[in-house]
Amino acid sequence: MMSGSVASLEHFTYRYPGGANDALDIGELHIDDGLTVVAGASGSGKSSLLRVFNGLVPHFHGGTVGGSAEVCGHDVIATATRVLATRVGFVFQDPELQSVYPTVERDVAFGLENIAMQPRAMMQRVTEGLERTGIAHLRDRAVTTLSGGERQRLALAGVLAMRPRMLVLDEPLSQLDDDGARSVVSILATLARAGTAVVVAEHRLDQLGSIDGRMLAVEDGRVVEGSAKSARRGGDAQAFRAPSHAVSTNVAAWELQDVAAGPARTPILEGISLTGRAGEVVALVGPNGGGKTTLLRTIAGLLAPCTGHVDRAAGRIAFLPQNPMALLHRATVAAEVAWTVRGDPPSADAAMLLGELGLTSLAARDPRDLSTGERQRAAIAAVLAGAPRIALLDEPTRGMDDAARDALVNAIRRMRAAGSSIVIATHDRNLVAALADRTIAVGAGSARELAPVAVA
Amino acid sequence: MNPRALAAWSLSGITIALATGNPVYRVLVLLGAVNVLVALRRPDVSLRGLGIALVVAGFIATAITTLASHTGDHAFLVLPQAIPVLGGPLTVEAAFFGASTGLGIAAAVLAAAPLSLVLMPNSLVDALPSALARTGAAIGTALNLIPGIARSATEIRDAQRMRGWRSRRVREWPDLAVPVVLTALESSITLAEAMEARGYGSGARTHYGEIVWRRADIAVCVIAPAAAVVFVALRLAGVIADWYPFPDLSVPPINVFGVMCCLAIAIPALVWRR
Repeated sequence: MMSGSVASLEHFTYRYPGGANDALDIGELHIDDGLTVVAGASGSGKSSLLRVFNGLVPHFHGGTVGGSAEVCGHDVIATATRVLATRVGFVFQDPELQSVYPTVERDVAFGLENIAMQPRAMMQRVTEGLERTGIAHLRDRAVTTLSGGERQRLALAGVLAMRPRMLVLDEPLSQLDDDGARSVVSILATLARAGTAVVVAEHRLDQLGSIDGRMLAVEDGRVVEGSAKSARRGGDAQAFRAPSHAVSTNVAAWELQDVAAGPARTPILEGISLTGRAGEVVALVGPNGGGKTTLLRTIAGLLAPCTGHVDRAAGRIAFLPQNPMALLHRATVAAEVAWTVRGDPPSADAAMLLGELGLTSLAARDPRDLSTGERQRAAIAAVLAGAPRIALLDEPTRGMDDAARDALVNAIRRMRAAGSSIVIATHDRNLVAALADRTIAVGAGSARELAPVAVA
Repeated sequence: MNPRALAAWSLSGITIALATGNPVYRVLVLLGAVNVLVALRRPDVSLRGLGIALVVAGFIATAITTLASHTGDHAFLVLPQAIPVLGGPLTVEAAFFGASTGLGIAAAVLAAAPLSLVLMPNSLVDALPSALARTGAAIGTALNLIPGIARSATEIRDAQRMRGWRSRRVREWPDLAVPVVLTALESSITLAEAMEARGYGSGARTHYGEIVWRRADIAVCVIAPAAAVVFVALRLAGVIADWYPFPDLSVPPINVFGVMCCLAIAIPALVWRR
């Protein structure tokens, strides 16, 4: 085992329990101080690799390991995750599922409680964690009242309070708006410059453009040294821009007239008058908590407006919620798609959609066994099957790699050409650039149409 | 306020409420508990739901006893004997006895309510003895999952409705129940993974913020249990008489020491401040 690196893997292999193939097969990998970005397609093994660094693989997930892995001087295979937790901090993708306690201050303290730190020292560390992540002002807030960006920073604060030697983050930006993502990236840059080993798996590589670092790519469980610059296709949204395929018919597919809407009959949007046309893609952009999801749910009819009227053309409405697992409950991906169109006449549409989204090889798999990005594609296939008249998609590119995003763009263009009215709530600027015929900014209680961007 | 002192107070209130059938003492405990709840409840807590539930429970207790007892000298209505269980005289005595039972239930519930409506959910768990600290943390975490599962159930219901699911068809209920259960399990596993990654289970735990005993806490922790012990002792000795309305309705006997013990239940509202 080489010394000097924060983490070293040699001839390391890992296979999940019941797996037919190795999820990881790494000849030699060394992680040093500073930033390391891990890129790769959905299901390539990024998350599995990250979990080796704090021992969740193999200790939490089980399975078979071979070779050696050493992190911060500890043999990973012989050391429990809870012991490695004092040296390796881990931030998960979904900020909502990593809060343990109901208040901010208390949640930051959770890790410190676990290592039996004395209360006085704990208070100092909690303050330190909150200040380093810029959320000291949220100290007494209930976790449920925080925005997505604030929750991700809270997760980071809880980890930083432990003063880890190595920080590992699994797609920490995937659910954040631009401001939230920028604030997290700024914290990571500061940590990397200060000498912490920061390992980030992320699809939104354009957001990490401000930090100098090393790029690794994971392909079928193997790690390949790459160039950060070459992998950063994003950032230049024009790269996604294709000639417009807008076929808007001026036939209204849905219309909101002076609508006020919000959860529990408390309006967070007021005076909204919008029309969506058949054969058109409308993008809803804006900060976390700004009301994009509320607007989508109002158009869908899932949320009754407090005042005003909503009209929809006859026909099926497809709705993709933010959490793909809200949809996936059948035994296979194919069965999931078939369930949506169970009342429709037989057609090849569902099979075509599976192929279009790159799911043909996964059609017989249980959706819950798929990676995050694959699940997202399966959920999209499940809602878009059967040529809906209106398609409402809430953050459809969450956890998706570039190839999957391209496939989604093609599927939506085809639907648009077929006359569907599509509304997408997203933080993904590249997706907006590639698809949106109109862009509507939602926030501060209102929705306003943005001027079209000229195509270069 | 100290969660252990509040737990001792709750136990004392419940003990007195259930140690007697005398509605006077039960009313006093109930009023003391309401006083504590109103004065000390968390700002984000509404008492409306609890109040409605207790009124309904009291009404049901009164109705069931009145309809099923048929004991007592003063009938206000006679139902035909042919009606199973309900047939026979409905008496004033049974109605009062039912109301007293409802009062006992309400007083006991209200004495326990501050544990969840005054304290933060994890405060009581933190107050568990150190031998139970890890178990307590797991319970606290599980409590924290509940709102998320409720939100996820709503999201799943909406998503399935948009795919043609209809709640009126019983055979389609599994299409909602299965993803809710699976998502809850998956959320639990993810949270367990996050807890493990933050060192949960590595050994003895400490708590953020020490559990401090102030004079007011000590006063509550001494006075409320002492009142309960004295009340039970006087009750067993026959000094505090119970009340039984059958066969003829009578005014409940009142003992000054019994009243003092019940009034002691209101002490947290006097010495604690939110």
